[in-house]
Formats: sequence, structure tokens, C-alpha cells
Amino acid sequence: MSTHNDANLIRMTNQIATNLGCGRDEDAAAAAICRHLETFWARPMKQRLVASLAQDDAGLSPLAHRAATLLANRLAERQAS
Amino acid sequence: MIEHFDPRRQANSVDFSKDYGTPSPVPNANAAQVTLEIDGVTVSVPEGTSVLRAAAMADISIPKLCATDSLEAFGSCRLCAVEVEGRRGLPASCTTPVVEGMKVTTQNERLAKLRRGVMELYISDHPLDCLTCPANGDCELQDMAGSVGLREVRYGFTGENHLEAQKDTSNPYFTFDPSKCIVCSRCVRACEEVQGTFALTIDGRGFESKVAAGQDEAFMNSDCVSCGACVQACPTATLMENSVIDHGVPDRSVVTTCAYCGVGCSFEAQMKGDKLVRMVPYKGGDANHGHSCVKGRFAFGYASHPDRLTTPMIRDSIDQPWREVSWEEAITFAAKRLKAIQAEHGRESIGGITSSRCTNEETYLVQKLIRAAFGNNNTDTCARVCHSPTGYGLKTTLGESAGTQTFDSVMKADAIIVIGANPTDAHPVFGSLMRKRLRQGAKLIVADPRRIDLLKTPHLGDAQHLPLRPGTNVALVNALAHVVITEGLEDTEFVAKRCDTQAYQSWRAFISEQRHSPEASEMITGVPAKAVRQAARTYATAGNGAIYYGLGVTEHSQGSTMVMGIANLALATGNIGREGVGVNPLRGQNNVQGSCDMGSFPHELPGYQHVADPIARGRFEAMWGVKLDDEPGLRIPNMFDAAIEGTFKALYVQGEDIAQSDPNTQHVEAALRALDCLIVQDIFLNETAKFAHVLLPGSSFLEKNGTFTNAERRINRVRKVMPPVAGKQDWEITQELANALGYPMNYAHPSEIMDEIAQLTPSFTGVSYQKLEEHGSLQWPCNDEHPEGMPTMHAVNFPIGLGRFAITEYVATEERTNRRFPLLLTTGRILSQYNVGAQTRRTDNQRWHDEDVLELHPSDADVRGVRDGDWLGITSRSGQTVLRARLSERMQPGVVYTTFHHPGSGANVITTDNSDWATNCPEYKVTAVQVEKVSQPSAWQQRFTSFDQAQKGYLAKAQQEAP
Repeated sequence: MSTHNDANLIRMTNQIATNLGCGRDEDAAAAAICRHLETFWARPMKQRLVASLAQDDAGLSPLAHRAATLLANRLAERQAS
Repeated sequence: MIEHFDPRRQANSVDFSKDYGTPSPVPNANAAQVTLEIDGVTVSVPEGTSVLRAAAMADISIPKLCATDSLEAFGSCRLCAVEVEGRRGLPASCTTPVVEGMKVTTQNERLAKLRRGVMELYISDHPLDCLTCPANGDCELQDMAGSVGLREVRYGFTGENHLEAQKDTSNPYFTFDPSKCIVCSRCVRACEEVQGTFALTIDGRGFESKVAAGQDEAFMNSDCVSCGACVQACPTATLMENSVIDHGVPDRSVVTTCAYCGVGCSFEAQMKGDKLVRMVPYKGGDANHGHSCVKGRFAFGYASHPDRLTTPMIRDSIDQPWREVSWEEAITFAAKRLKAIQAEHGRESIGGITSSRCTNEETYLVQKLIRAAFGNNNTDTCARVCHSPTGYGLKTTLGESAGTQTFDSVMKADAIIVIGANPTDAHPVFGSLMRKRLRQGAKLIVADPRRIDLLKTPHLGDAQHLPLRPGTNVALVNALAHVVITEGLEDTEFVAKRCDTQAYQSWRAFISEQRHSPEASEMITGVPAKAVRQAARTYATAGNGAIYYGLGVTEHSQGSTMVMGIANLALATGNIGREGVGVNPLRGQNNVQGSCDMGSFPHELPGYQHVADPIARGRFEAMWGVKLDDEPGLRIPNMFDAAIEGTFKALYVQGEDIAQSDPNTQHVEAALRALDCLIVQDIFLNETAKFAHVLLPGSSFLEKNGTFTNAERRINRVRKVMPPVAGKQDWEITQELANALGYPMNYAHPSEIMDEIAQLTPSFTGVSYQKLEEHGSLQWPCNDEHPEGMPTMHAVNFPIGLGRFAITEYVATEERTNRRFPLLLTTGRILSQYNVGAQTRRTDNQRWHDEDVLELHPSDADVRGVRDGDWLGITSRSGQTVLRARLSERMQPGVVYTTFHHPGSGANVITTDNSDWATNCPEYKVTAVQVEKVSQPSAWQQRFTSFDQAQKGYLAKAQQEAP
């Protein structure tokens, strides 16, 4: 498992959070970020990002963390259905 | 010169193979029809038409020499003189406009005598070597001498003349032979009116008058950009293609589409048997109207270059020589490996890259192969590294991932903003059109770190340059929008009617904040606040404001944000939905618009339909007979990361050179080396192919049928003019690979592929080869609602209903200068070379640019003791390369610039992994670097040279050993 790739995914998520976070309240922002990840990211990338939630020091910004948590729920829902 | 009457031809329809003598008057709905009589024939033409043109429209041909319908009338040769009832003298029909009730006589004794006299004078100073002249059979002077019945030259040939004038052979593509010149000024006028370079002039007076390039220099030393407009306009052999001098006049002609840039010019490929003699820009081409640039016009020799790959090749690993094999063996080898890798590493361990250089049909087929036969969505294309932010940004704000206008729309623009684009180099034919409009008085605003050549347009009126620091686009566009809003320059009626109110209100509150004012952002962008205010006022108040942008907008960490910022600006000022306005991405590759439309992106099926959309996906599943993955696949940079970590093992690359064109070369090389199977389908052993295991020789645009879609969404036919060098068109290769993988494809012709595309893509339902034959070209959307296509988008509403303003917060890039890396490097292109240069480096275009150099401002050079031509080591956080220095005032201090046309330059060794937040489009345009004088190539360059030599050796060995 490459740590380089994980770090890259986290950096990308933080960037998305910074850019989509502007001008929205936190709920709306987290939803928008989650939607962006769902729309554009490949399955393994999403899974890797969700897996990083288990790590305390993964480096996700608070907003990115919230969005990734939303994404984890969405993926779990889809798997269940 | 016998003209046949063809009763099937409709009256007033334009025949593009015919020269009407003068251009058609500017189309004007209010122009009255004028009826006149020419030689007893009643003719009705629009007001403003010349008598010469009116006659030609009625198939009455009047002799002419200095007139041609690509240029304004000049009235110098006197050959087109006519008689007009009730008028004195014999007026030139080219400069005489039609008048109601006019009675014109084009032939009688008096006119015949005058014309013979004119021709006699011309011929008295013209060599009589017609039989051995390269223009023999294609010479207007010869035709006219025949037409007027010239039988003798009473003046003799012993007097003073120009018959000994020396040829200028400095240009590699054409020869200037002044002994054949009749000083009609067509070349000079073409250089001015069509190309807009003003490189040619008439030097001297009276008998001394002669055509001169620049300050009477050789063509190659002058400002001439070798566009070919003068050669095209010349009625004699004075300016003649060297290929015609060498091979003779072509005998057949096929209209096709150029395969260089996103302008997508139409050309006549003029042939002798299977030999392409010359490419002549086609007057009927809707994108170029008979103009061309040095690449499309002349740089086609690569298609028959000895480096062309002609036989499929395979090898087990990249440190082995190649083995030439049959098509069947190569395809079977590739399919077996792909299947074995999927069996071992899973369905998602392989993917492919579609080519933005290939046709729509070929691109469609590759993504179909990936989605249907590979069973995943790991497909991407080079738009990832150029205009993916355009797709995202415009879809978010305007609802469609494409430019809003035609190229011709620029002729109605009153203020033109050019951001991060360099049209005179990268989109030259459109650049010429834009210059034409600028000469007519449109105002120009250029936002670019460099002083681009557009700012040096001859006869340019009001021009403003906003020399911003690389990486600060969003701060600048926000400042422009701030001025529009706070100074009350917005189009409130448009916004109220056409835009989402809530999104607008949020944006308005955001953009009105003081921190977005030009005064506040001056510290960030480096552009004086006063200049920003003036630019915003010009754009918002000029009437029609049009924005054109290029990769200087998209290739940034906030590329997508900037595209949305541009759309915001256009929406706020109501500059959307009519001619003369709009948001216009200047797309790079010939078919990059098409490759995006055709579903090359990992999250979108053809027509930008998301893979997770069950209805759209369902239609594809039904047609393709296979279940499709509903999750997006990997994008190119994601594929590289996955390859390096070992989860991505095989890649099928059709016509793209990722090893040279993608950023952080050493990272890309590591990814390619990590692959178990790399299949490269290309016409040359490009940089990527040196890492491949399977080499499938592709076909050039001259060897295939299909369509390209240009930057104005224009679908144009590509027509096969010669057989494929290696025996197969690219779509046939993809089809065979699919069949070998067990997914059946059985297309007999690309038109069948287009028919399938039309059934699955809502914006293409009205497109067919038959309709393209009828219309010449079609701009999508072309469907039941818009059966003839749609030149201007968003006139009534947006595909998403209302336009959506987006919040565009400026976020500084993480790529910062510091003491170690104090300069910012930005990259771009030049006119004579094309992108990775695989094609143009194999032509005489090398004569203009045979190496990439580093441009830097004299003050930056001074403090480092650098002189012009010194070797410079350029170091970034990613790597180091060495280039020669060129001191240039075009640069601002602190910013350096290079091109990436030569693989050994390693421009992308220094660019970084940073990318656009939304699309992963690389941040090519901002790299922090240091430069210093060095005495030898960089370590990477030394490794590159030895790897390159080894790989070329493997290829040569295979070719020698071939039976």
C-alpha cells in the first residue's frame, strides 16, 4: 500500500473542500464535497479515502473529514441496497 | 477556361471552386436586392456586390488578374474593364458596385482591344517559358492571355525588364521567383487582409515596383509566418509551392479537415495518384474560409516520413528488442496479456487513453472497448491535461461543456478579452480573424503574464495588457467582476430573466466584498488597480464583449474556478446568447472537443451523460449488450499513481504521448515502467512507445475516414486520400482488439459508428454522414430541436434552464516561490511546432524552431550573469533540466517561459504533480524554479539520451531482421 497515494488523495480532498467550502454553510459544503467525490472519483479512490477515516492523523481538514464521513455513509448505503 | 452551364446548380448558391473576383458583401438582412442587366442577362444580387462578382454569379466570366474573391477589390490590372450604358469610359468591374437598372456589356471590340493591350504590356516583361514553368496548367496569366486572344508582343523583349530577377528560395515550402511577378499586389494584400501580418510590401515606384518581404529581406528573415496566403493568392508562378515545382500540378482533390489544432481548418488535399502534392485551404470551410497556417498548409510531410511505423511489434519487456509480427499475432498477444492481468489483478487493473488526435468514431470505439470489453470506466483523454476544467466549469455555470460561439462571431465583437491564450501561435487561423476584427476597431484586453504577439497586431487600436503573476487568475477575474457589480455595469435585465436568482444574490454579495476590489487584489496579481477598472469598464460597456481563453486559464490549481469566474463575468454583463459575445475556450488538439463529446472521460458516457445515471447507462447497456460499471473510473494522473503502487497494470494508449506531454516526467516514467502491459497505437515510436510491450502502427488523418469536432463544436468530415501505411485505420485496430477480447464489433465503415453515436447521444441525434455531405459541417447540438445544428448557444435558455453564478474564492496555489526557487516558470507553444512535436519535428518546420529555449527577462539574466545563448540549468521541486537562455522583454521580471516541443528538452521534468482541485488538470503554468549557468545536460537528460538510443536501436534491429 503506497502512502504516497494516500497522502495525495487526502491532499486532493482538502483542496476540493477549500474550493467548494466557500460561500456555503457547513452542511451544504459537506454535501457538495461529498457529491463531487461521488461524481468524479473512481471506486478505489473513494474506498481508500474512506479507509483513511480510521486514521486519526490522516491530515483531512475538518470539512474534508465531514464530507468523507458522508461519503462513507453513502457507500455503505449503496452496498446495503 | 471553358465554363459549363449546369442546370442542376441552384441560382445564388456559391461554388467554392470558382473565383468570383471580389468578396461577397457583408451579409446584412436589410440589404436590398439590386437588379441589373449584364450582356442582356438579368441578374439580381445583394446591394454592395461588384459588377465583376454579379457577372460571375450569372456565369459570365470577365477577364481579371488583380482581383480574387478572397481580397478586397484593388482595380489595378484594368483587365476587368466593362462598358456601362450611359457612363463614360471603361470602368473596372471589380471596383464598380451594381446599381439598379444598370446595363453592362462585358465583351465587344473596344473591350477586347483594351484587354489585349493590357495583356501585351504584361507579357512584354514576362518570361515565355510556359512549357517548363511550374504553374503550367494552373496559371491565371496564361489563362488570361488565352482568353483575350493575345497573339503578338509588339514591344519585343529587348528593352529594360525584370526577367533576370533572382529567386528567393529561403523558405523551405515555397519559392519566390520575381521574374514571373506582374505586381498585381495580391500577395501583399493577402498578407494584410487575410493573414494580418503585413510582412510583404511593394517596394519602389513605377517600373521599379517589386514585391518585397520585410525590409527587402529573404522571406525566412522577414516577419513572414509562412501561412501560405500569398502563395494561394498569386496568379502566376511567382509564389509557388516547392512540392508543385518538384512534382507538377495535382490532378485530383479531396476536401478534408486538418489534424493539427482545434481550429479544424478545411483543406483540399490535392493529389497525384496516391501522392499528396499540396494542401490548399478550402474556401468552403466554415471554420477557416480559405485561410491556413504553416502547419496545416505545409507541414504534412510527416505522413510519409521514413520514421512511420509500418508493422506491428511486440516484446516481453522494455529492455528487449522489438519483434515484428503479423497484425493477428500482435492483437492476440495484447488481448491475452490484458485478460491474464485482469484474471490476476482484477477487472479494474487495466484501462485506456483515447486519442484527441483521432476521429470521433475512433475515440468512441476506444471508450466503448474500455467500458464494454475491459468492463470498467478507466478511460481518459488528453483533455485531462488541457481543458477538463472547461468541461467542469462551463457545465456547472452554463450547463454545457463547450464554447458558446462560432469563430465568425468574433467579427461582431466590440471588446475582446483574451486570457491565457496565444491565438497567433496556437490557433493561428482564428488569430488572423481576430486581428482582422481588431483592425476594424474592436478593443482588445489581454490578461497574460507575457506580452503576446496579439498585442503587436499592426493597426491595432485600443489595447490593454494586464500582465498578471502566474497563478493569480481567479483574483483578477474576481476584481473585474467586482468592478462590474460595484460600478453598476451589470446587465440587470439579462440576469433577472436568464439566471438563477438565489445563486446570483449569493454571488453578488460575495463579489461585492471589498477584498475583491482591484485595489485589494493588486498585491496578489501585480496588475495596477486602475488598469483592471479600465478593462472591466471596456468589456462591460463596449456593446458586444467576447472572452477567449486557453490553457493559461485551465492549467492551474484553480483552473475550474477560473472558468466559472469567466462565465460569471459573461453572465453578469449579459454577454451570452448572441453573435459577437460568449465564452470561448480555444481548444488545443484537432479533436479534443470531439474526444470529450465521445465519452472519453471516466465519469461520462458519450454526450456527457454520467455513468451513474441509470436511464442513460441503461440505453448504452441495451445497445452494447453488456452490463456497465456505474462508478467513474481512474483519470490519467490517478492511473499513474495506481500504477506506481501496483494496482494498475495495463494501459492501451491510442495516439497520445503521455511520456512527453504529461507533467513530472520522472513520475510518469516510473508509472509506465511499472506496467506489465503497455499497448501503444501510434504513427511513430513516440516517447511513450519506448516503454511499450505492444506497438500497433496507426494511421494519419490522410489515411482514414471519420469526423473531427473543432473548438466551435463543428463536426467536419475527414476523408481518406491514401491507403493506410500499415494497412489499417485506427478504428479497425480497436475493433480487432475488442473482437480478440471476446467482445464483438463489426463495423464496416465509420459512418456506421456515427449512426450508433447518433442513437445514444442526445446532442448528436441529427448527425449522419449524409447530412454532413449536404451541409459541409454541423455544429452540435444537432437533433430534432436543432436539425441544422446550433451555431450560437444559449440564445433562449441554458441546458440547465437558468444560468448559475458560482462562488469563486481565490485560493493561492501551493506552488510558491521562495529563496531556493525564486522564479515562476510558465510553459506554452509556438507557431511552427505542434505540441509534443511528433509531427512537426519531422517536417521542415524545424527550420523555425529546432530547440526549446528558456525565455527570461534581461534583469533576471543580469543578476545571474546569464547571456543570450548560455546553457541554463532549471531546477524545480520535481527535477532539473538544461536549456539555452533567450533574453526577452516579453517576459516580466520573475517569470520565465519555455515550450515543450522537443522531448530532450525535458520541460515536463520540472513541472509538478500539482493539479486543478476539481479535475486533476495539471498545473503546468506555475512552477517555482531557480536557474543557473551550467556546462552540461542534466542527469535526466543524460539518462534520456541513453534510453532513447537504446530504444531506437531495438526498433532498428527489429526492422533489419524483418523477413
